[in-house]
Amino acid sequence: MSISTTVQRSKELKELVFDIIKHADAALSSARIGKLSVAGRKDLETPNFFSLSSRGAVPHLTPDVISAHTQFGGVYMALEDFIERAGNATPPIMNCPGPFPLHTFAALPPSLITLLAPRRTPAVTAAVGNSNNAISIFTSNGFQTLSNKAYINYAEKLHPDIAVALADIPHGSVPGTKRVTKMADRTQGWLTELLSGRKEGKPAIFAPILSIDFLDQSEYINELADEFADDIDGLAFYDSNLLPDIPETTALSRLPKLSLDEPSSPRHILRQISLGMDLFTIPFVGFATDAGIALDFQFPRPSQEEGIVSKGTGSAPLPLGIDMWSTSHSTSLTPLSIGCPCYACRSHHRAFIQHLLSAKEMLGWALIQIHNYTTMSTFFHSIRESIRNKTFESDCEEFARAYESELPEKSGQGPRVRGYNFKSEGPVEQKKNKAPWLPLGGDDQVAQSVVPSDELAGKLEEMGVTEQADQ
Amino acid sequence: MASATSTPTPIPMLKPMPSALTFELIARCSTTKARAANLTLPHGPVQLPLFMPVATQASLKGLTPHQLEATGCRLCLNNTYHLGLKPGQEVLKAVGGAHKLQGWKHNILTDSGGFQMVSLLKLANITEEGVRFLSPHDGTPMLLTPEHSIDLQNTIGSDIIMQLDDVVITTSPDAARMREAMHRSIRWLDRCITAHANPTTQNLFCIIQGGLDLEMRAECCKEMVARDTPGIAIGGLSGGEAKDDYCRVVNTCTGLLPEMKPRYVMGIGYPEDLVVSVALGADMFDCVWPTRTARFGNAITAHGLLNIRHARYANDFGPVEEGCGCMCCRKKEDGGLGITKAFVHHLASKETVGAHLLTIHNVWYQLALMTSMREAIIEDRFPAFIKKFFDDYHGADKTKYPDWAIKALKMTQIRFENTSIRTPKRYQNSNPARKTLPIAYCHDHMIEEA
Repeated sequence: MSISTTVQRSKELKELVFDIIKHADAALSSARIGKLSVAGRKDLETPNFFSLSSRGAVPHLTPDVISAHTQFGGVYMALEDFIERAGNATPPIMNCPGPFPLHTFAALPPSLITLLAPRRTPAVTAAVGNSNNAISIFTSNGFQTLSNKAYINYAEKLHPDIAVALADIPHGSVPGTKRVTKMADRTQGWLTELLSGRKEGKPAIFAPILSIDFLDQSEYINELADEFADDIDGLAFYDSNLLPDIPETTALSRLPKLSLDEPSSPRHILRQISLGMDLFTIPFVGFATDAGIALDFQFPRPSQEEGIVSKGTGSAPLPLGIDMWSTSHSTSLTPLSIGCPCYACRSHHRAFIQHLLSAKEMLGWALIQIHNYTTMSTFFHSIRESIRNKTFESDCEEFARAYESELPEKSGQGPRVRGYNFKSEGPVEQKKNKAPWLPLGGDDQVAQSVVPSDELAGKLEEMGVTEQADQ
Repeated sequence: MASATSTPTPIPMLKPMPSALTFELIARCSTTKARAANLTLPHGPVQLPLFMPVATQASLKGLTPHQLEATGCRLCLNNTYHLGLKPGQEVLKAVGGAHKLQGWKHNILTDSGGFQMVSLLKLANITEEGVRFLSPHDGTPMLLTPEHSIDLQNTIGSDIIMQLDDVVITTSPDAARMREAMHRSIRWLDRCITAHANPTTQNLFCIIQGGLDLEMRAECCKEMVARDTPGIAIGGLSGGEAKDDYCRVVNTCTGLLPEMKPRYVMGIGYPEDLVVSVALGADMFDCVWPTRTARFGNAITAHGLLNIRHARYANDFGPVEEGCGCMCCRKKEDGGLGITKAFVHHLASKETVGAHLLTIHNVWYQLALMTSMREAIIEDRFPAFIKKFFDDYHGADKTKYPDWAIKALKMTQIRFENTSIRTPKRYQNSNPARKTLPIAYCHDHMIEEA
């Protein structure tokens, strides 16, 4: 049997197909355009991104809003969000009927691709390390262990479109030299176990690349290139710096490459794309939304209208986002970003969104989330255009000149922090959420004494009900 | 300024009041006092009887205006008191009113801010000129007068605006204070009418006061009806009174109100209360309970309230309510989202999306309940509807029917077979502290999290 027919055959069997459509100018960049096709889902042109979910929901967005107002092509699901009951019963999601329990359980629009990974990204640092056959996970009921056997069972039953194989990642802590040697061995063993038990190539498997030096995992990566390349469907990078070290074999370079590297700014995304990354998970979208920051950038340069607006500031780089907490927006009838096609910008204005944040109304974060995801979709669309036009490298330079390197600092509060995804740091910890209402003065204050006096009342009347007097 | 006395207020010589609505009576129930009507407001028609969900701070708890529209809502509530604090009158003026602020194409009703005096402000001081209180945000002193309230509501631009009234908690034993409040509300109505700048584009509703004293209510009805506002509200209720008393007050007032005007009972939203109140002749209702209880993980269904956070729903892969037509409950094949109880349980009190989903369902339930009542009234089968409703709501167990509802429906000539009135236990308050808790947690009084 010739090699080409083997490839052809394995493609037919696979649920996931990745075609590379176009490479950027190879001398300058490894950026490329690809197409990710999963049976029954909408094709996804790469470079592109998956939105992050929390407990199966994209934060702030109900599934109807996702369908109507967002363009992202897939959702990242963390298994640890679903199995808090695993200790004493079958987790409910495992009882969900239908051929795609993960999809059905989360009521996701059928067009979206699901990506299952063991842990959230970013993940909470575990109290205890991983063992030879299990990792520590953080559920809403606390830390648990997840064995590779259990993960394989979940991945098979839940039927995500893509599953990232279990990896020995010490989230948040720096591994010692002894640990480093174990990490690659364990990961390789777990992957072997996963692939050998897989039926009919379901689900598609992305092999993890660890966040340690290439030399420390070279044996594992070479094994991926030599033995596993035809069985795996992609690579998941916990550290994008490893990209240039991956052997340039045909079998490996045809695989889609997913970044779980938590890029902190658009510039990091661009850098990873130029190294050959195809797919992203982008925690900063959610961070910006919760901080009340509306992302405001375009690739490679701001649109003309915005250029005119920004002329006043000279050639200083533009901020990447707008802090919507600022009262300077309180009467502004302009959209979040001029010319933005998103629902929030078409139907609402800055004044409303500023009001919603200030009143702590949940809709405020929902609208900013819609806007921020649309901004990212437009950003990736422009990147693909740029690669197509072979102007990607120069466009990246222009983007770097036009915009600041990092997102603006947050000034306002986010929505209420929920305990289950933030680990307690110690015994004398400050409250995560400020009390929205406090008693005025002390408890023993006499009611009458603080009610404004008669003389003051006249003055107050002139000022009107919304005016507030300093007293 | 007139001092607070209990002398009857003379009816001022008022010119006929313009109205920005048309009220068309469609049908009357032949047994009860229920009616079906069409009410045309500046931002489009609505069908009565009607439930209005409460978008306190210009947003219905996480739903986009688009999603609210999809529930069938065409008239929602904003709270003047909250909008006056945030974003404030200056911003509202600059933006061009509440419709423009929130991107809502349909009707808005604003309350006057009077209720918040009772529900929020322990430190309020009410005098003839208005209410003095401290800002709950930063403790600065504020003053709310009838003129301010109307001015603010004129700026908000809501389709229905409410007079500022002097609200005394209905269970207050102080009859003199109650009488004073009733008369003051009449005097404040006159000041509101005088202050109202947009009578051709905004409809001012008066608010009948008088506590649980039927004679006082009758007097207030007479005085206020003479002022000929486009619509009439029955106020001061759902503040912790016994349901028997509530029903007597509503029944008395609707008996005295003109037939060709909409009647709005403020702060009512439990399904049973809605059904009985419609039978007693009321048309419009509002309440934060359906949306608030959604954020606590409770789903309203025809078979009662379900606490979806209960472990029994963890593996329940059916819709929140079988046969419900809302976006969440409809199956994916029927263009819905196919949300299951298990998923809502998984999200409840952990991700706000769970609250949004139940909010959509609960608002839909309330609006659908009103629509089905309307259809039953038009087809003159409302008594049968009521029987079916109570049967479903209590799992066909007649002994669970609340006594107050049986008594109230008797007033409207509806009798349930095989029911008897027992000693009311459910609404007996053994704990005196409970008396101050509202029966229906009727007005949103703080920003609450899901």
